[in-house]
Amino acid sequence: MITPFRSARLRSVNRPALLSLTGAGLFLASLDAYVVVTALLPMLTSVHIAVNRAEQATPIITGFLLGYLAVMPIAGGLSDRFGRIRVFAACLALFAFGSFLTATAPSLSQLVTGRLLQGAGGGALVPAVLALAADLYPTGDRSPVLGAVSALQEIGSVLGPLWGGLVTASSFGWTWIFWLNIPVAALIIWALWPEIRSRREERRPTQLDWVGAVLATAGLALLTLALYAANPEQSPVGSGFIWQAPLAALCFAGFVWYERRAAQPLINVRRFRDSSFSGSAFTNAIAGAGLMVALVYIPVLANAVFSMNASGSALLLVRLLLGIPIGALLGGWLAYRLRSYRFVAALGLVLAAVGFFMLSGWTEGSLKPHLIGPLTLADGELFLTGLGLGIEIAPVSAALLDAVGEAERGAGASFLIVMRLVGMLVGFSLVAGFGLWEFHQATAHLLPPLPGLNPNFAAQFAFYTLKVKQAIFDEYHLIFRATAIALLVGAAVAAATLRPLARPRWQ
Amino acid sequence: MRAAPPPRIVAAGLALVVALTACGPQPPDAATLLKQSSQRMLDLKGFHFQMQITGFTGPAEPVQSAQGDAHPPDLHAKVNLKEGGILLEVEVIFNADRIYLKSFTGGWQQLTAAQVAAFFDARLLFDPQAGLFAAMRDTTAPYRGNSEKVNGHDTYPVDGVLQGPRVHQLLPLIREQGAYHATYWIETSSNNLWRARVTGNLFDASQAATIVFDFSNHDHPVSVSPPPLG
Repeated sequence: MITPFRSARLRSVNRPALLSLTGAGLFLASLDAYVVVTALLPMLTSVHIAVNRAEQATPIITGFLLGYLAVMPIAGGLSDRFGRIRVFAACLALFAFGSFLTATAPSLSQLVTGRLLQGAGGGALVPAVLALAADLYPTGDRSPVLGAVSALQEIGSVLGPLWGGLVTASSFGWTWIFWLNIPVAALIIWALWPEIRSRREERRPTQLDWVGAVLATAGLALLTLALYAANPEQSPVGSGFIWQAPLAALCFAGFVWYERRAAQPLINVRRFRDSSFSGSAFTNAIAGAGLMVALVYIPVLANAVFSMNASGSALLLVRLLLGIPIGALLGGWLAYRLRSYRFVAALGLVLAAVGFFMLSGWTEGSLKPHLIGPLTLADGELFLTGLGLGIEIAPVSAALLDAVGEAERGAGASFLIVMRLVGMLVGFSLVAGFGLWEFHQATAHLLPPLPGLNPNFAAQFAFYTLKVKQAIFDEYHLIFRATAIALLVGAAVAAATLRPLARPRWQ
Repeated sequence: MRAAPPPRIVAAGLALVVALTACGPQPPDAATLLKQSSQRMLDLKGFHFQMQITGFTGPAEPVQSAQGDAHPPDLHAKVNLKEGGILLEVEVIFNADRIYLKSFTGGWQQLTAAQVAAFFDARLLFDPQAGLFAAMRDTTAPYRGNSEKVNGHDTYPVDGVLQGPRVHQLLPLIREQGAYHATYWIETSSNNLWRARVTGNLFDASQAATIVFDFSNHDHPVSVSPPPLG
């Protein structure tokens, strides 16, 4: 919960400069949530993880998201207590330290720890910046700033995979993705130093909802563990699923119970009774899951069966990434013109679902046939998927922000990001486990031919490679089809729940 | 008030203290340590091992690392292979002259000796004649260093030299030429070998490389059973 301070001194500072600097830090962190998707294979190789144990890459992604989500509930309150900019700088430093651990990791455990700390540092920046914006701007002028914070988050998902792919493919290698964070973070902290040193920034003691934060984080951590298929040959979920999943549910139930009674709750859980609020929150999570699946699995597919390197797979993903900002603008414009959130949100999700259904029909020859000039059908399918995922952003976000009203917009913006990341975390965890499980099922009796005294080895090996590629495609077809179905469910929920626009908002 | 003891008595007392300290538990000389530890490792009912190779330069790296449990000649290990820049994990079982492999996909299949020789015969590592523990006895110019902690155990490192042909026996990837530097970390109380390291231009005449073995679970019984095929 963000309660702005009415501080005369803060109003007198250079507001654009302060917001640009903190926004730059926020952007750096949002890039890093997605930056690894095109660098996963080299990262695994450098910590000596074999490609056929790819399930061990899952925590590199989920660790960051979990860290991000864990700190978001308490960071707003901490910034009340210790000052926005101080908390911001401390968390940026933590993010830089996490980057250092990641870049220097000799083992998977340090790599995941580094990612977790990166996420924790990066996630805390969101509420700190939102609260700062609330301090700096009066209620009426705040919306563009809150919108910009959410937009930075989305732009991170567009540029992150590209950035990661380009750095990984360069002669510097993947570690430079993380090394470069350190000087940039240092530069931002240096520029903020006068503000950090000044003792005049207002603080006030606030009641931090530790119980709520711990319950929510424990629930998410348990759920992530329960869904982490460490041994996908045997099971699509974790070995402790049977006790971890109910315990996670218990934590979430405890969270809701506690929040209803808390004096200063993290989330006003009563708002969930408003179907427009809960519907947009759910839709937002589903769309986040869809986006994460596309971001992770298109580069991995490009690498595994189309033999593309990091920059090649990043460039393939560009087709989808281009669609997102175009769709986002289009979605905002359409919602305003048609004066309907539910139609535009459902349209975006249906388009994305159609895109995923088309992706699920890919075969080895899919990147070849040219449609018009240099463009292929696959380019169109990827663009359509991105376009759909973009169109949904504005109507879903606006519906949620409308539901919470003007006074709680900061908390609403924060909650939007939380729900998107929860969707990403849970959706990706599920898909990763079930996808690999499907691959192992499909190849359970496929024995590789052995060299030695085998005259037909070359032919047998070619046949075997074909079969493995087929199994990889089967895995992807399952993943993309499941994602498409989830997006259609999201579309149905959006169509049923989102309220129409109250008054013009898109100017 | 008593008089102070005469200086001569003090000097004698000091000499006695010094002599006693010097006579404390002295570790055996390097050659004896190697021999005792070699015997101890050959007699074990089982142990856990981890092997890591760095500095290999060939295009396909048949083995980058391996870890598992052994009661030589039986053993069960996970092996990381590098093929065209891609790291793959396979599982191998050696059980009473039969060899089984679980590779990238599918279940266990049985290999012939010729097939296993083509990639990595892990049995040779701990063979009583050709393997590492036998090589300890063949190490020349042994020299014992100062005590060091290895994985929380007090050990003495013993440095020495191993001839190329001898090391080639335990890992045929290694060149037969030249002599290599070997170090063994031995716990004197138990004669357990905790770590062994071989360094030198093992695979390429112009490039330094290292093989490190780490051992644990000494004498924990290991029994390896044949896996279900298919």
